[in-house]
Amino acid sequence: MTAAAHEAQSPHQDLHESTGVENRKLAMWAFLSSEFLFFGALITNYLLYVGREFASGPKPSEIYDIPFTSVSSFVLLMSSLTMVLAHNALSRGDQGATRTWLLATAMLGSVFLAGQVFEFTEFITLENMTLATNPSASAFYVLTGFHGTHVAIGVIMLLSLFGLSKRMGGLTNRQFLNLELVGLYWHFVDIIWIVIFTVVYLLTAVPGAS
Amino acid sequence: MTTAAEKATTIFRRPRAETGFWSWLTTVDHKKIGILYGYTAFIFFVIGGAEALLLRIHLASAESNVLSAADYNGLFTTHGLTMIFLVVMPMSAAFMNYLLPLMIGARDVAFPRLNALSYWIFLFGGIFLYSGLLFSAVAPPLGVVPGIPGNLDPSDARSFGALPDGGWFMYQPNAAQEFSPSLAIDFAALGLQILGVASLISAVNFIVTFFNLRAKGMRLLRVPVFIWMTVVVAFLLLFSLPIIAIALFMVTFDRQFGTLFFDATAGGDPILWQHLFWLFGHPEVYILILPAMGIVSEIIPVFSRKPLFGYAAVVFAGAGIAFLGFGVWAHHMFSSGITTVAQVGFGLTTMTIAIPTGVKIFNWMGTMWLGRLQLKTPMWFAIGFLTMFTIGGLSGVTHAVVPSDWQQTDTYYIVAHFHYVLFGGAIFGLFGGLYYWFPKFSGRMMNDRLGKVHFWLWMIGFNMTFAPMHWLGLQGMIRRTWRYDPSLETWNRIVTVGAFIIAIGLLVFIFNFRTSKRRGEIAGMDPWDARTLEWSIPNPTPAFNFAEVPIVHGLDEFWHQKYTEDKTGRPIRKPEADEQVARLEDIGINPPEPVHLPNPSYFPIVMAAGLPLIAYGIIFHRSIAGKALIVLGVVIALAALIGWGSEPLEEAH
Amino acid sequence: MADEHHVAHPTPAQYVKIAIGLAVLTAIEVGLFYLNDAVQLGWINTAALLILAFLKFVIVVGWYMHIRYEKAAVSRFFTFGFALAFSLYAVVLISFGVLAVSR
Repeated sequence: MTAAAHEAQSPHQDLHESTGVENRKLAMWAFLSSEFLFFGALITNYLLYVGREFASGPKPSEIYDIPFTSVSSFVLLMSSLTMVLAHNALSRGDQGATRTWLLATAMLGSVFLAGQVFEFTEFITLENMTLATNPSASAFYVLTGFHGTHVAIGVIMLLSLFGLSKRMGGLTNRQFLNLELVGLYWHFVDIIWIVIFTVVYLLTAVPGAS
Repeated sequence: MTTAAEKATTIFRRPRAETGFWSWLTTVDHKKIGILYGYTAFIFFVIGGAEALLLRIHLASAESNVLSAADYNGLFTTHGLTMIFLVVMPMSAAFMNYLLPLMIGARDVAFPRLNALSYWIFLFGGIFLYSGLLFSAVAPPLGVVPGIPGNLDPSDARSFGALPDGGWFMYQPNAAQEFSPSLAIDFAALGLQILGVASLISAVNFIVTFFNLRAKGMRLLRVPVFIWMTVVVAFLLLFSLPIIAIALFMVTFDRQFGTLFFDATAGGDPILWQHLFWLFGHPEVYILILPAMGIVSEIIPVFSRKPLFGYAAVVFAGAGIAFLGFGVWAHHMFSSGITTVAQVGFGLTTMTIAIPTGVKIFNWMGTMWLGRLQLKTPMWFAIGFLTMFTIGGLSGVTHAVVPSDWQQTDTYYIVAHFHYVLFGGAIFGLFGGLYYWFPKFSGRMMNDRLGKVHFWLWMIGFNMTFAPMHWLGLQGMIRRTWRYDPSLETWNRIVTVGAFIIAIGLLVFIFNFRTSKRRGEIAGMDPWDARTLEWSIPNPTPAFNFAEVPIVHGLDEFWHQKYTEDKTGRPIRKPEADEQVARLEDIGINPPEPVHLPNPSYFPIVMAAGLPLIAYGIIFHRSIAGKALIVLGVVIALAALIGWGSEPLEEAH
Repeated sequence: MADEHHVAHPTPAQYVKIAIGLAVLTAIEVGLFYLNDAVQLGWINTAALLILAFLKFVIVVGWYMHIRYEKAAVSRFFTFGFALAFSLYAVVLISFGVLAVSR
């Protein structure tokens, strides 16, 4: 962040004791740290039920498509790269590259979401596993569904920044912080998926099933 | 500033009113928001109190038919939800909002518009929760608008619509579709979800304000205890609300979308609900009590004419209570079949909480010890807090002893315990704060004589109401049933009389508040000869708070501007103190330079209005109207978000 | 003040290298999954996968979220949230016997 942007944000900064972290950024970090408790509850919920036997099946762990999920995980992971490149481009003042990388990030996020829609559709139509099949299935859909909702919100925010930049011919110093906050959110959603991919998919998938 | 901003201002003219109805709807001033929280919470307090009186009228005889069983269930659940989420939390939020910037020497919170958003979401969430009343009680399953059922047991008849009826902790599967088919639990689950959003936003706002907006020189161990407790509560909210959000989503999904989380017949586990609920529920208990502890820590030094004894210990004890509070949740589940190891472990962690709590109680007593006590109304309430909370704390320790808890679980002994901590503790503390800070927002004093009448009516009524519940519980009177053994009738009648004495006390308070607000003695700037920064500015507080942002040199900054000490530590008023106070009051009334304030905004209230619409939509999601409501709610919230984003906080000057 | 820790941020080339590293770690994870399918590795598989995921997690938080370049307050917040979530939910799962402390 440039010193000028800093001034514009809080003209009375020098009158206060402060952590030195901009208000909105500190707020974002606080919010994200509370999200650990949010996703933690969902993952706990899944882990509680994954080892149990139910009258009706299948359980998600019996029908995971690991190669497919590996690819979509990779896509989301790479979207974190394009996100930092957008951040870096804007910090160099390269508005065109910023827009390109923002759009790329939104696209990769959308590909991930499309993959999730595809996965859900397969599970429901081919494997007959719905929300109401058994508690393990319920837990799986609600966990990955809430994660997908977070990704979708992220995509909307990225596209808003892209649209804003397009309309105004670039993002201002003031909006640099917005981009940084969207970036933090985006990476956070990515690290949650890193955990989900390993703990929920790789570690619980029934060997030989995929 | 930006072109987008100019465009937005041509479409929507920004609100300009500074007084009157519109100014309250569009305000982003933390003081006005605090007052809104206060009045709203007070209205809910009267409603929750009326519910309690109905319950007590019913319980005055063992086989009473004043209420049907179903209405009884609805009323005690709603009483609990109201008092916790719509009274104690927002009343604490009222003080936090009003005082956080004033006590740290700031002109507002970090995010004034988010602060307004929190309030409106809270208000709409509360209204949403109660709007279940409008929907006839017994619904056919799954959210279809119900008709009147024909063949119900008369005890199931309801005159109060869909009031939530599963107890405030909504245990599963009792609160599942099968056993609670009306819409009541849906309204509770979604209503709490909305209230949670409000609290989460507040929590983030207060944390950032605390860390980034303290006046120069106000290092962490110079921050007033009430503000410390505010930020500790904010952290508790930040980390416990996401847990209950998930738990409530699971209930909503089970009831509305057919998931099987808590359905034991399909392999679901109702104990999971208890874990998630109490992972939130126990920190919630400290969310309710810590603000009152903070208030008392401000009142006692002022009226003892001494600094707070062991300031740092009180702060660390508060933080310690909060931290330990995350590790004790399963003591609510000793009778749920958790393992012996878990019972012993959680029994022990629970007992450790008594240590920091004891530290605080001894520090408050140490502050009063050898002080020149001035027994004004706020001090009486603080003493009431101290004594009643100690009794409640001690009965709490008996729950930590597992075999003893098995006997007490689900009896009136528990009801006695938590009313001693939450009424004798939280409510006494909050009302003490109200008497203490009344001049701050009204510029006038509360009548002290009527205040003391109020206090003693409450002290007597409170003990008549809740002390007998200890022995009623130990004699086996079960909680949450509309019938009890006739041999227990005598004490129950005394309890009911006590409840009415509390109600009379409240009427005295309302009378005192109204008359004092209009005709009370003019307070001046520093009526209590107080210690903290909020008294270094005029009463009522000017819109900009501080004409000059203060520089802080130590704990109790304002006190040290007025007093010095002699060799024995006795305070001596500085000769220039009166002059200093007059100077501060003068620049507060006639600021030397104009102060720029955030502009009012329509968008917080508009955005908040989107949430209950979405919630109604989820409840009726099977009908077209329900789906339309969800879309409408999302569109309204998004539109408000766009308007919000394109409107600068402060207009160019 | 804002500019001085700006300098320390990685360059685009370094960001790409980090991404390659993340991709390699993911590939190892998936490879390990299939290896475990063929020869049962038991707890080694579990431990290795958790360590790999944790590495990816730390890399993204540290470099992409720039927590290494932030004030200490930020990482304290974040670590506290993570540690709290981890320990609370671990206790819940242990109490259900899902994470067995001793077998």
